[in-house]
Amino acid sequence: MECVFGLVGDGFAILVADTSAVHSILVHKSNEDKIMVLDSHKLIAASGEPGDRVQFTEFIQKNVSLYQFRNGIPLTTAAAANFTRGELATALRKSPYMVNILLAGYDKETGPSLYYIDYIATLHKVDKASFGYGSYFSLSMMDRHFHSGMSVEEAVDLVDKCILEIRSRLVVAPPNFVIKIVDKDGAREYAWRESVKDTPVSSA
Amino acid sequence: MPILLLPSTNFKFFPPKLKCVDMKLDTSGLESTSPFFGSGDELCPELSAAPSFSLPLSTDFDEFQKDTKATLKHAKGTTTLAFIFKEGVMVAADSRASMGGYISSQSVKKIIEINPYMLGTMAGGAADCQFWHRNLGIKCRLHELANKRRISVTGASKLLANILYSYRGMGLSVGTMIAGWDETGPGLYYVDSEGGRLKGTRFSVGSGSPYAYGVLDSGYKFDMSVEEAAELARRAIYHATFRDAASGGVASVYYVGPNGWKKLSGDDVGELHYHYYPVTPSTVEQEMAEVAGA
Amino acid sequence: MEAIGNAGSAIGILSKDGVVLVGEKKVTSKLLQTSTSTEKMYKIDDHVACAVAGIMSDANILINTARVQAQRYTYAYQEPMPVEQLVQSLCDTKQGYTQFGGLRPFGVSFLFAGWDKNYGFQLYMSDPSGNYGGWKAAAIGANNQAAQSILKQDYKDDISREEAVQLALKVLSKTMDSTSLTSDKLELAEVFLMPSGKVKYQVCSPEALSKLLVKHGVTQPAAETS
Repeated sequence: MECVFGLVGDGFAILVADTSAVHSILVHKSNEDKIMVLDSHKLIAASGEPGDRVQFTEFIQKNVSLYQFRNGIPLTTAAAANFTRGELATALRKSPYMVNILLAGYDKETGPSLYYIDYIATLHKVDKASFGYGSYFSLSMMDRHFHSGMSVEEAVDLVDKCILEIRSRLVVAPPNFVIKIVDKDGAREYAWRESVKDTPVSSA
Repeated sequence: MPILLLPSTNFKFFPPKLKCVDMKLDTSGLESTSPFFGSGDELCPELSAAPSFSLPLSTDFDEFQKDTKATLKHAKGTTTLAFIFKEGVMVAADSRASMGGYISSQSVKKIIEINPYMLGTMAGGAADCQFWHRNLGIKCRLHELANKRRISVTGASKLLANILYSYRGMGLSVGTMIAGWDETGPGLYYVDSEGGRLKGTRFSVGSGSPYAYGVLDSGYKFDMSVEEAAELARRAIYHATFRDAASGGVASVYYVGPNGWKKLSGDDVGELHYHYYPVTPSTVEQEMAEVAGA
Repeated sequence: MEAIGNAGSAIGILSKDGVVLVGEKKVTSKLLQTSTSTEKMYKIDDHVACAVAGIMSDANILINTARVQAQRYTYAYQEPMPVEQLVQSLCDTKQGYTQFGGLRPFGVSFLFAGWDKNYGFQLYMSDPSGNYGGWKAAAIGANNQAAQSILKQDYKDDISREEAVQLALKVLSKTMDSTSLTSDKLELAEVFLMPSGKVKYQVCSPEALSKLLVKHGVTQPAAETS
C-alpha cells in the first residue's frame, strides 16, 4: 500500500513515493508517478484516492503557474504550502479531497524546505515526513538515521534503507519507488527503484 | 492510515420510482439559542430553519441503500481487457450481463465504438458506461469540428475522467478503458468513476480481470503480430469467462491500428472451450472395470 | 481629475534605504478640528503605506479594499503581499469604474510606498483611470507638474533617506500656494528597514517635523515664530 516520504538535506530536499496504482487486490499499474513537479523548484508528492490525488495536485500546479504568469515572480515554497493548505481546508467542509501531501521546494532566501499537509489540512514545516502504511517503517528509520545537513549520498542511502525495510516488512509492500530531488538547480527525477517492471517481457 | 478506512464515496442516489416523504430531521439539539443570521426568523426563513431533505420511505434505510447500490452495479460481472503492442492496441471483452445470480443478457456490446479511431470498454453500470461513452463521442466529434483534427486519446480520456470526477460520490459506476490511435500512435487509458485515470500499456477491468491478467501477463510481449495479439486477448477473455461466473457469452476482439479500429472476431466462449480443449474419448469406464476385476 | 488638481499635493521619493512620502494638508478652515492622526497618509499593511490626493470619501473606500486585499493575501499565503500586486489589485478596482456606464470613477490619485523581499523599496503612483507605474520620485495633487519637474532636476540616484526628506520638503516649499511651510500643514511619513530587518512605517510627529523644517532651512519665517 501507499508509501510516500521525504526529508531535507544540506541544500536539497528529497521525496520518495511508491508507484503502484492499486484497486482492492489488483495492481493496475506499477509505474505511476505520484510526485509532480509543481514548478522549476518545487515538488509535490501526494497519496490518497487516485482521482482526488491527480485532480488536486493538478489544481495546485495550475494555480502556482497562474500566479507566476500574473505576477512575474514565483511563489515561495512556504506560500505555496500555505496556499495548498488553504485550498484543502476550504474544500474540507464541502467536498473534501482525500489526499495527503508532501511539498518540497528550494528558495534562494531560505534554502530547501519540506512541508507536511494531510487531508484534514494540517500544515507542518518538517525536515522529515511520511504518509501511508510505509510511514510506520520509514518514520522510525528516518528518526534513527537522519541528521541535519545530510549529503545527497547519505540521504539516498537512507531512502534506500527505508525502501528496503518497507519491502521486507510490509505485507502489502509496493514493488517500485520513484525518488525526486529539488535543490538550487531545480526539481528533477533522481532515480527509480524497481523490483518489478510494468511490462515484463516473459516467455509466452 | 485513517484515509484508507474512510468510505470512498458518499452514496446519495435515490431511485425516482420510490415514493418519498418529507421527513424532517430533528436537529433542535444542534441549534444555538440565538439565530446565526440576522435578528429575526422572518427575515431569512430558509437560513434559520432546521435543514430538511427528502428521505426514501423505507424502514431500513441502510439495507435500502445497499440494495440500490447492488442494483446499480449489476453489470460489474465483466471481463474486459486492452493492451498496447507493436502494431497498435488490442481490445477484448466478454458479452454477459448479470444481475446478481441472474444472467440478463448473453449478447451485450461491451466494446463501445466512440469514433472510427477510438474504442471504450464497459464495466460497471451498463447505462452509465453507455451514456457517458456516447457523451464522450459527441464531445470528441465537437473537438474534431472545432480544431480540424481528431482528439488525442490522452485528451479524450481526460475529458471523461473530469466528467466522472465531477459526479464522484453520486453513485455512478464506471470502469472503462479508452483505447485508440492518435497522432502520437497507440494510446490506452484506464478511467473509473472514482475519478481515477491511469495511462498504461496493459489493463483489464471487471470481476474476471484477475483471471484475464493471469493469462495476459504470462503471454504478453510487445513484439507480436496482430494475429498473435488477437489470440492472446481471446484466450485471456476465454479463461476469465471459464473461471468467472459473471463473465461469459461471446469473446469479441477489436484491433485499433493506424487506420482505425476493426472487429476481428466474436466467438462464443463455449465453442472456444471445445476449440481449445477438444473432447477426447474417455477411458474412465475401462479403468473402473479393471479395478473391479482386480 | 479636476478634484485632484485642487487637492493638497503629495510627493514621494524613493531612496536607497527607504521611501519618503510628504503631503500638504489643505486646512480649509481654522475652525476645522484637525485630526490628531494623519489625514493624507495611510498604512495599508506593515510594509506598505500610501499618500492620497483627491476625494477623500472615494479614497477611504479604496484604502479599505487595499487593506482587505493585503490581509486576504496574507491569509492565503502567510506572507506579506508584494507591493506591486497590491497596487495592481487596487488599480483593477479603479479601472472597473471607468468601464461601466452609470458609474463614476474614483477621483483619487495615490502614491504607494512599500518594501517587499523581491524588489526592495518601491514607489508607485496611480491615477483615477487605474493607470499605475513605478517611480523614483513622483508628485500628485496641486501643482504636481511643477513639483515633478523640480524632482526631475534635483533627483539623483543613490540618494539617502535623509536627503530624500530634504528634497521633498524643498520641492513642497516651492510648489505650495502658501508662503510658509509649517508643521501643521505638512505630513511626513517614511517606510524603511529597522536594524532588525523588519519593515517600519513611521509618521513624523509635528514637533519633529518643525525641527526638520528648521534644520533644512525651508521655513525661515516659521522658524522665527516657533
